[in-house]
Amino acid sequence: MDLTLTEQQMMLQAAVRELRERDYTKEALVAIDSGEESGAAQWPGLVSTGILGSLIPEEYGGVGASLADTAVIYEELGRGPVPGPHFSSGVFAALILLEGGTEAQKQELLPAIASGERVFAVAITEEDYGWGPGFIHTLARIRGNDLAIEGTKLYVHDAADATDLIVATRLETGKIGLVHMPAHGGGVAARPLPGFATGLCEVSILQASVPRSSLIGAMEDGWDVLERAMQKASLILSAYQVGGLSQVFDMSLLYSQTRRQFQQPIGRFQRVQDHVIDVVNYLDSARWTTYEALWKADEAREGAIAAMHTAATVASESYYYGCNSAHDVHAGMGIVREYGLTLHTKMSRTLYHYLGSPRYHRKRLAQALGL
Amino acid sequence: MDFDLEWTSEQLAFQDQVRAWLADHVPELPDHADPADLTADEYALQRKLGRELGEKGWLYPAMPAEYGGGGMDLGMSMIIEEELDRYHLATPPYYDTGGRLGSASIMVWGTDEQKEFFLPKILTGEIRTWQLLSEPESGSDLASVSTSAVKDGDDYLVNGTKIFVGSNHGAEYSWMIVKTDPRGERHKNLSWFMMPMDLPGITVEPMDLLLVGGERGAASGVKNTVYFDNVRVPAGHLVGGENNGWEVAGTHLEIEHGLLRSAVRADEMLERVMTYARAATRGGHPLTEDPDVQDALVDFYVNSQVTRLLHFRNFAYRAQGRQLTYEGSQAYLHQKRSALSKARAILEVMGPRALVSDPEWAVAEGHIEVHQRASIVEQHPGGTAEIQRVIIARRLGIGRDSREQPGQLPSTQKQGQ
Repeated sequence: MDLTLTEQQMMLQAAVRELRERDYTKEALVAIDSGEESGAAQWPGLVSTGILGSLIPEEYGGVGASLADTAVIYEELGRGPVPGPHFSSGVFAALILLEGGTEAQKQELLPAIASGERVFAVAITEEDYGWGPGFIHTLARIRGNDLAIEGTKLYVHDAADATDLIVATRLETGKIGLVHMPAHGGGVAARPLPGFATGLCEVSILQASVPRSSLIGAMEDGWDVLERAMQKASLILSAYQVGGLSQVFDMSLLYSQTRRQFQQPIGRFQRVQDHVIDVVNYLDSARWTTYEALWKADEAREGAIAAMHTAATVASESYYYGCNSAHDVHAGMGIVREYGLTLHTKMSRTLYHYLGSPRYHRKRLAQALGL
Repeated sequence: MDFDLEWTSEQLAFQDQVRAWLADHVPELPDHADPADLTADEYALQRKLGRELGEKGWLYPAMPAEYGGGGMDLGMSMIIEEELDRYHLATPPYYDTGGRLGSASIMVWGTDEQKEFFLPKILTGEIRTWQLLSEPESGSDLASVSTSAVKDGDDYLVNGTKIFVGSNHGAEYSWMIVKTDPRGERHKNLSWFMMPMDLPGITVEPMDLLLVGGERGAASGVKNTVYFDNVRVPAGHLVGGENNGWEVAGTHLEIEHGLLRSAVRADEMLERVMTYARAATRGGHPLTEDPDVQDALVDFYVNSQVTRLLHFRNFAYRAQGRQLTYEGSQAYLHQKRSALSKARAILEVMGPRALVSDPEWAVAEGHIEVHQRASIVEQHPGGTAEIQRVIIARRLGIGRDSREQPGQLPSTQKQGQ
């Protein structure tokens, strides 16, 4: 029993923190969020740390780190919150290839993901949004040696910044096929969706054609591959949300100490204190369910799946409600964009449904508990 | 990180030893749903077990051996706790809150003479001790107590009324806070006594409450009103110095506010509810197929996991000698609040059956109906939810330049117990 970070994890955390504080200042993050900057200036620095290869084994050009080690990185990124395709590419796509790719696909694509040469986005959901095979309607038809693909993917994270896509399609056999294809050109177009969300895109696929060898792991149903990848990716996403919440808590605590009304710090008022306490309660609930789930997954313990669904539920709800409580602390100042709180509020909404909403995870948890 | 409690071979050998000893010594005790049903004979068996544990230093394993404790490290203490938990017992195996909190306070604040006099009695199970804090006019504002102790020669004369005291079957001592300087400044007018309960002028009268606890160890017992009418107590029973009681209270409350919860205790109610739901049917269908029932059960489960993990974190931090600040109250607050949502989940799952103690229809021999009441009663002891929030706010430094420091603990308590 030891609930502290290892020395190596602390070094990792310090390195990512240094990068974040240098390249992703609040001013930079607000500029990226508003579209004034693209984030392209910071991206090479992020890539150079090697974090995109964290989960990728050394034989494929990565680091081969555990989920818990990778979570340390993502918790730190979540504190920004640092946006961008790092999760889509280095975590979600990498895990799909690791879980389902052929040896040739792994050798070709994983080193390119680890080095940042290629950036992947994963296109699953569509107009009738949902995280299950029943929601996949984009068709992939076999035409000779090629696959002809047609459909519209919606709420795809980071597609506009990607060079490559993994697209969930419906095969003629009725199974789900995961298809690797370019993110732009040849009938594929990614368009960022404006609104109260970060990085969501529409991907339209019109008369696109890719070689049949682009099908990831031809033998098994693509949804099974996706399911395994999502189970791991979800844990990293939870860690990112924990990082976001811990920043939201720090901001709220500091504001309670420095903002004065009625001749005293607002944190002297119990009504205000309650909101800050709610944030720390959300934070610690998300933190410890996530940490235990990471440990169970890395150690392949009994109940690892139930722990993952618990963490996903608690982390998504906590980030959402924790931001609400932080807005109660900050009142008007909290909605001033340059203050930075709304970066988190927006991210908490963006991630609320990602890889399954809390409601989805609760249903899966019920199954995992044998109900 | 490592969430495993892995034992060394030495610890495993100790575990075997404890398990075998308990198998021979733990008496057959009925698992009363309503703890008030515990009989005097059953209580006597629990006290006997306590003394036997005390002889081995297993009653208060983490307290110093020179005073009758076990002098053991956190691991050994945990093993004893885990093994007793299999019998739904704890250390001590009866309600001894005054002993638990009083002995820790005496370790920090008592004179050598007081340590030698009181600690062996408590730590070996010779006496059982209640704690006396609340009064009719002093609840959350503990510092406002008005039970008075006035110096009279070598004694103090004590007058006043304490409420929400103790458990079913009497106590040999009481650990109590009183006012020793009626004109003194607030927080500088209080003192603590270890009060023998057989002194003339003490009257104990049971209160009629929504639920009364028990004698299993951690639970609070039947609650009483205790009247003090010119009770004469020798001055040597005042612990921690006259009018220094608020400092002593810092130690007492630090432990009471969530520091002492065992890290191993399983959520029995979760198991009971799951067992019920898996076996029951409604309208000819398994109950678990009802999506509303699934929702309620999952809520229950998630709440239970968070409470468990917050306590586990606190336990692990203490095991590593880390100073806790807001975490004790945070876990305690979560436990209190989630008790209410769990009760509602049970009501959703079981319907009115959850409210019935009738022998024919009650679920889990009445434990479910008792829980419906217990979840409400659990909200106030050891500081209300609001008081926990006040402590969290101070310890985090919300609206303050500095964080409030925790009350002083004996070195053994920092390490566990």
